[in-house]
Amino acid sequence: MRKILIVEDEKPINDLIKLNLELVGYSCEQAFDGTSTLARIGTEEFDLIILDVMLPGVSGFDIIGSCGDTPVIFVTAKGDISDRLEGLRRGADDYITKPFNILEMVERVNAVLRRARKTEDVVSFGDVTADFSKRRVLKGGEEVHLKPKEFDLLEALVVNRNLALSREKLIELVWPMDFDGDERTVDIHVRRLRQKLGLEDRLITVFKTGYRLQI
Amino acid sequence: MKTRFWKKAYLFTLILFLGCLNAAVLSLTVYSYRRNVAAAEETAKAEEYYIAFSFDRDLSDIGDSPDYSARDLMEHFGENYSSRGRLLAFLHDGDIIYSDVPEGLIPESDTVSHVYFEGMRHIVIRNTVFETGYELVFAKDASDLDADLRSLGAAFAITASLVSVLLAVSLYFVMRRLSVPIDRMRVATEQIAGGNWDYRAEEKGNDEFALLAGSFNLMLEKIGSQMDELEREAENRRIEAEKKQTLINDMAHEMRTPLTSIRGYAETIEKAAIPEQTRIMAAKYIISESDRLGKISETILEGAYMGAVLPETERCDLAATLADTGRRLSPKAEKAGVTFETDLCPSEVEGNPTLLSMLFYNLAENAIKACRPGGKVILSCAGPVASVSDDGRGMTKEQLSHITEPFYRTDKSRSRSEGGAGLGLSLCKKITEVHGASLSFESEPGKGTRATVEFREEKREKD
Repeated sequence: MRKILIVEDEKPINDLIKLNLELVGYSCEQAFDGTSTLARIGTEEFDLIILDVMLPGVSGFDIIGSCGDTPVIFVTAKGDISDRLEGLRRGADDYITKPFNILEMVERVNAVLRRARKTEDVVSFGDVTADFSKRRVLKGGEEVHLKPKEFDLLEALVVNRNLALSREKLIELVWPMDFDGDERTVDIHVRRLRQKLGLEDRLITVFKTGYRLQI
Repeated sequence: MKTRFWKKAYLFTLILFLGCLNAAVLSLTVYSYRRNVAAAEETAKAEEYYIAFSFDRDLSDIGDSPDYSARDLMEHFGENYSSRGRLLAFLHDGDIIYSDVPEGLIPESDTVSHVYFEGMRHIVIRNTVFETGYELVFAKDASDLDADLRSLGAAFAITASLVSVLLAVSLYFVMRRLSVPIDRMRVATEQIAGGNWDYRAEEKGNDEFALLAGSFNLMLEKIGSQMDELEREAENRRIEAEKKQTLINDMAHEMRTPLTSIRGYAETIEKAAIPEQTRIMAAKYIISESDRLGKISETILEGAYMGAVLPETERCDLAATLADTGRRLSPKAEKAGVTFETDLCPSEVEGNPTLLSMLFYNLAENAIKACRPGGKVILSCAGPVASVSDDGRGMTKEQLSHITEPFYRTDKSRSRSEGGAGLGLSLCKKITEVHGASLSFESEPGKGTRATVEFREEKREKD
């Protein structure tokens, strides 16, 4: 499990980030000020640090320098372009602006970890094992053949596990450019995934929202 | 360089003066020469008259004497006078009988004329004389007239030249001297134009130039002070705009933080299947952050409201208000381990009771927050002065100067965890302002803070 350090002095926001990252399968640690953060990154290993720029004590910019090779996503106020540029200049890997969208935050975390080659290639749930590097799926030890788009859909659902994804969002993630069908296409692919992998209990329809893969 | 004013003035004056001088000298020369000529002619006429008179008398004396003719007399006269430089000729009926005067130089009629012969100037006079019909022609050397004219001309020319040179030199210095103050003004204006606004023209003497320099300097003073004023105004406006921008940025930040939480938790509840406990935590955050957002907007509104409208006032019992504040805050104080003390003398001020209780509530709440467990907050009032003091962590001078600014917090993390937005003291300041009261803070880091509200005395005296 990937370990993420969340540095944010606002407890509600820190809890919010932790809650959602844990839902999609990360392990999270929390820090609420710059001084304790510096102490922790000196002694503990993290796969990613989410860092608020405006911190009491030591500012986020001063912390980025001490993070070493650990990827950093920093959190900044919307519209504060100078802060954003300063952060990227100092070696941050990405940024999210407040107020942020949960799915967008998860996506950015995934993207940064993917670039750092720290994503988990193999995910298992129930009797299903998905290997994303080899693009293979096993059910009860036997390989199940999935069409490319079905596999992409599975990957999107796994990466955003425990979060409901709307049909639009799924289209955006799975059929990014060339989609000319409609939302029915999503429904058809979801039904096929359920059938092929026996996910009727895990891949559920969320009322008025979309689909969610519960792991 | 362009021809300077003083050089022009110099040249014109010099030319004008030399013209006048030479004209005067010339006319003087001509005048005295004419007088000399007239005098010489008079002398010549007198001499001629005397000769003619003598001749006439001698001619009648000799009568018809056979051995001494008129011609002899003429010769006698001629020889006698030519030895003295006078030449005579005698004519009869237009015929020359005797002549020492070269022929051709004898005038045609009775005149006085100037004739040159043998290189010398002569005055020649012809006069009809006697009943006898003889005529006398008299010629006299007048070359001294020419010599006079020459020496006179030379004398005047020398004088004129000397005077001209003297004038040219002295005028040069005078004109130069006169142009010095103009030059000074020119330098001054160039300095000003070059941006040296502190430069001042020298005010020497008491002539027009000194007055001009004075006015010039006065003008500079006026313009300078106007410019300073404008600069100050621009600077103030800039600071004001900066403050406003900071306020807006802070406000946006303050509102964005709870908004992020509210939006995020709502989205989580929507999308995720989360345990009951987590769901309740999320809902609680949504509620508390909504409250925080509400509080911020309310405070902003109150601040804006108070800026525009004067509150209705009545007699307020300060002691009662402070006691009430203590009662309302005692649960909070207990939780923080802080004790309240009161030192209340009866006192009344004119004010709005709601705003005043808001004021003291805010001050006392801040005092509690500043205290460590076991700390003490003292509420006191006497006359028109009320104060709230604590023995908490205190503030530095730098912090003190900012505490009434909206959204300012001495310690961001602590204040936020205690639920403040950094608006309380700016609201307090507003409340004291609309009451015409003053709000002051004394503080020492580590020792505590005292906030003092002083109402104006005259309000009391009026009643």
